[in-house]
Amino acid sequence: MSEAGHDEGVLTEFTDTILFDRYADIRAALFDLNLSRSFDKRPYDHGNIRDGVVSITHGATHRARRRVENTQFRAEVLRLYERELFPPVMNDLLDVLVDRERVDLFQIGETLSVVLAARRAGIDHDGSLEALRALVHHVDVLSQGSAILDAKDPEAVRTLVRQTYAELEHDFMGPSRVARQALIARSRGGGLPLEELPQDIHTVLLLHAEDPSLALDDGRIVREVATYLQGGTHTSAQTLVNCFDLIFARDDRAAIVERITADLLFAQRVVLETLRLRPTTPKMKRRAEVDTEIAGVRIPKDAQVVLDITSGNRDPKLFGDRPDEFDPDRTIDSNVARWGLSFGAGAHQCPGRSVGGGFPVPDSFEVADDHVYGLVALELRAVAQRGIGPDPDASPERDLRTERFTRWLRYPVRFSARVSA
Amino acid sequence: MSEPQVTVDPELCIGSGDCVRLLPAAFRIAESLGVSVPQPGAHSADRGLLLRARSNCPTHAIEILDADGEPVPDAEGGR
Repeated sequence: MSEAGHDEGVLTEFTDTILFDRYADIRAALFDLNLSRSFDKRPYDHGNIRDGVVSITHGATHRARRRVENTQFRAEVLRLYERELFPPVMNDLLDVLVDRERVDLFQIGETLSVVLAARRAGIDHDGSLEALRALVHHVDVLSQGSAILDAKDPEAVRTLVRQTYAELEHDFMGPSRVARQALIARSRGGGLPLEELPQDIHTVLLLHAEDPSLALDDGRIVREVATYLQGGTHTSAQTLVNCFDLIFARDDRAAIVERITADLLFAQRVVLETLRLRPTTPKMKRRAEVDTEIAGVRIPKDAQVVLDITSGNRDPKLFGDRPDEFDPDRTIDSNVARWGLSFGAGAHQCPGRSVGGGFPVPDSFEVADDHVYGLVALELRAVAQRGIGPDPDASPERDLRTERFTRWLRYPVRFSARVSA
Repeated sequence: MSEPQVTVDPELCIGSGDCVRLLPAAFRIAESLGVSVPQPGAHSADRGLLLRARSNCPTHAIEILDADGEPVPDAEGGR
């Protein structure tokens, strides 16, 4: 372990620790390019399981990577997934998953989300439940890796993540890469139009693998694609569970579930309100790359900056007199996002924000025909339409491997209807 | 009020497309570069939305300048 001030190794000692818990201050910190997400400067072979992935890279490499990868998050691509690709896959899968009266909602959310995340990431599979469960297992391990700053046993997590990368490469990524490289070669030879290549992160990275500004190698491509698989699955599944956990705690839960089944924009607001109250990363952490100043606070190089998103998202000046309350219909200034800061902000803002959460909801609650509602809203409605309710005989189980209070391991529920959406 | 000059710094832009979603008539992603480019009519777009696009740009790549070349101040209530 290195000591504070070193530019190599894991930074575990800090020159200072500074906490921001007000919305405006957190936002200023998230936009400050002098703060990075990198606490581990080691290469992968020396133990840094997240070496070179886009969510950790900083500066020019990060910008170059995002310019290439953001092509997969354009509005027309989101609409294609939300309107054409996802609904039939989701409904067919739900019919299989909701095959018993009592099931685990978290497992349902993970399985639904991993199908889409794998497709967007560019990880091929045979569509079997066995393959999906294997991918979900990998996502679970990678999620522990993405939360390594909050892990109770970081070395155990590192070992698990390295094993998962190897298995992913052997079972899924290797074959997916070979297939894409063949298509790219065909395209470069004039035998396939560029626009007919697969629309996914894996393909665009392979297309630009030789671009030195992206700082890619084979291992980094595997980790980068895996990052999108994990990010696309985990937040969606956890948010789906948190939505119902908030709803089930209310006396009017039946009415809310009924509204969700009938009104997709309301379902989206439920998702965004849930994200505000239950951010996937309740406390974001940053490291000062250089001396800087935020909100009048001097921050020395190698200080740890802790951003209390849970607190910032409950600022009464922005979210009303009862900011702790679950209220999907709350009125919010149009300059403030309904999800607060849960997707981050600034250069490292979650690239999948619009995939999972949809486009911003206007003050009028009226949207254009081409509005994107977000995949979690679609999942929420589809599950609600199948008559979901809490399981009175089984308790939900939180994920205690992490300090993040918004994560679940199991969430038993009951279904009263098996009607296709 | 005179029309502002709208610029996007291509060195900062990461091509998130947030500005395009907010003001499709004012910004377009140049796919070959992966960055946002202001459109000819950007200066006449709704001032409030332009300011919001600037405020929400994840890398602060958008600038809105007045006739004197000075940054137009944020509107009240902007974040």
